[in-house]
Amino acid sequence: MSETVLSARGLRKSYPSGDALLEVLRGVDLDVAAGESISVRGVSGSGKSTLLNLLAGLDAPDSGTVAWEGSADTGARRRAAYLGMVFQSFYLVPELDAFANVLLARRILGGVDGAARARARELLKHVGLGERAHHLPSHLSGGERQRVALARALMNSPRLILADEPTGNLDEGTGNGVVDLLLGLCLSANAALVLVTHNAAHAAKTRRSLVLHAGRLEPPFTA
Amino acid sequence: MPWYLHLALRQLFPTGRRFPFFTLISTLGVALGVALLVIVMSVMGGFAHEIRHMIVDTEGEVQIVARGGIGDYPAVVRKVESVPGVAAATPYARDEVMIRFNDKPAYPLLRGLDLDSVERVTRLGRYVRAGSLDDLDDDSIILSGQLAASIGARVGDTVEVYSPLIISKLAADEVFLPRQVRVVGILEIGHQQLDSSTVYGTLRLAQDLYGLGSTVHGIDVRLNPGVNEDDAAARINAVLPEDIRALSWEDSFSDFLWVLNLERGMIFFLLLFIVIVAAFSVTSSLLISVVRKTREIGLLSALGARPIHVAACFCAQGLFIGVLGTAAGLVLGFTALAVRNDIVLWIMKVTQRQEVLRRFYQFSELPSHTSGATVGLIVVLTIAISTLAGLLPAWKAARLKPVEALRSE
Ligand SMILES: Nc1ncnc2c1ncn2[C@@H]1O[C@H](COP(=O)(O)OP(=O)(O)OP(=O)(O)O)[C@@H](O)[C@H]1O
Ligand SMILES: [Mg+2]
Repeated sequence: MSETVLSARGLRKSYPSGDALLEVLRGVDLDVAAGESISVRGVSGSGKSTLLNLLAGLDAPDSGTVAWEGSADTGARRRAAYLGMVFQSFYLVPELDAFANVLLARRILGGVDGAARARARELLKHVGLGERAHHLPSHLSGGERQRVALARALMNSPRLILADEPTGNLDEGTGNGVVDLLLGLCLSANAALVLVTHNAAHAAKTRRSLVLHAGRLEPPFTA
Repeated sequence: MPWYLHLALRQLFPTGRRFPFFTLISTLGVALGVALLVIVMSVMGGFAHEIRHMIVDTEGEVQIVARGGIGDYPAVVRKVESVPGVAAATPYARDEVMIRFNDKPAYPLLRGLDLDSVERVTRLGRYVRAGSLDDLDDDSIILSGQLAASIGARVGDTVEVYSPLIISKLAADEVFLPRQVRVVGILEIGHQQLDSSTVYGTLRLAQDLYGLGSTVHGIDVRLNPGVNEDDAAARINAVLPEDIRALSWEDSFSDFLWVLNLERGMIFFLLLFIVIVAAFSVTSSLLISVVRKTREIGLLSALGARPIHVAACFCAQGLFIGVLGTAAGLVLGFTALAVRNDIVLWIMKVTQRQEVLRRFYQFSELPSHTSGATVGLIVVLTIAISTLAGLLPAWKAARLKPVEALRSE
């Protein structure tokens, strides 16, 4: 039996909007098994990013719970080791070269040693940037930057990767490559993946597809 | 190295670019403040050091005084000279007189020197500009430069000296004649406050003018090199009767030294504001940086960074600028001190004021004396102020909500 790396129960989140409340999430339940890949689709503004942030422990729900491997501790210290995140905008630190950006994840976790450096180099090679390790983000293309971000997300061998529209800023061909790379990396690292995407083809590549609709996660409507 | 220090260094010195603008300008601001503090405090310290020399050269390291004078001074001198650490002692008499030359009066202090011992205690001879201390006898005096200039007397002239005794003699209806003395030298110590208006004569002349008999007003003491003045004064006091007290020169001139120290303290405080203003510019640059890097700060949270460490990253940038600016400032300051005389010479040449400086200060060179404690204070304060400069930006960064930071455009 595979254990559950992430379980969310009854997540609710609303934002004040003028005088009214904008109810974005109205009771989201989600279980992610180890090594599993899940895609989440939904129209713009449906609350996908909001949901991911709750799952990552970056924001607190109005009600409901998030647990990682059964523990409700989603604090910063645990996040560094447990979770990898990828975003639509790649968020590389501009002063650090590709290698240092990947290694930054380990620096924050603590314990940069020879093995960590070797792993960062290995990961960069894996995402096809072995030769570009010492280039600054400003000297890399969008696709290359996102691949650096993928390597960074995997640096600490997380149990779970949360990816928020990682191909949103990339052209189709590049985007396909990045998603394939992401799925492959998660598979070989046995990391679970929650992939938020607008792209049905990308969603189809994950084991399970869900849609965020009217504040709830539902199986996709199939005609 | 913790990640926040590493990132702070990288933000100040990004890979590839050697010295970015922000780092350069901020460091320069701090460095200028430090350099100026070091230079000004050293030169002021130099002047203070010169003043110490002037005092010790003219009155010894320890001054012995007694209310109502010292009667049997040869015995006291012998006693004092037997105290360990004492090199020599010389008695003196000192009081006000009136001097007249060509109908121009002046009211200086006349200091009566014991010619046998004065050269063993003081280095007055060194400050005689015209004439010589050796020419002094009971019918001659040496004038301070300022006084000589104000009454127009020169070496070889004869001046009249009126003593305070004139009052009592007039009261007793006695005939009173002023003492006619020759000017045999002009003496300039070089500091206005020390030099204002003193004339020097023999001890006998002074005793006669004041009607002292064989009493003296005090005894100046020179110590062997390296002997602590306060310890020596205490040892001397131990062998002297209660009514005769020895004071180290620092105690004798404590009022004067207090004013000097106050001056230095004020200047230090004012110059420190350069560092503070530089720190303000560091603060505003770092605040801009926090705003510019909002999304990165969000990312750091997503990577598991704790707010306190995010804060430390920005505080550390202030600290590093402080350390770097201090180091650069020290180099700049000490370099400027090393070539200070060339700078002064150049300014003199450009402004053609060489003579004024020489006349006013007697120093043909700009003195400099750097105290380790002062430099230490400058270093500590500058680094502390620079680190404080990072505090507000750090606080701003730590307060950013991760979600909002990631969402910001
Ligand atoms: N801090 C906030 N304050 C107010 N409203 C917010 C805030 N954050 C999100 N919202 C609103 O919540 C809704 C969901 O936003 P969210 O970013 O989760 O959508 P999304 O599904 O990720 O959209 P997209 O596909 O465009 O990225 C939106 O209507 C948004 O305007
Ligand atoms: Mg979104």
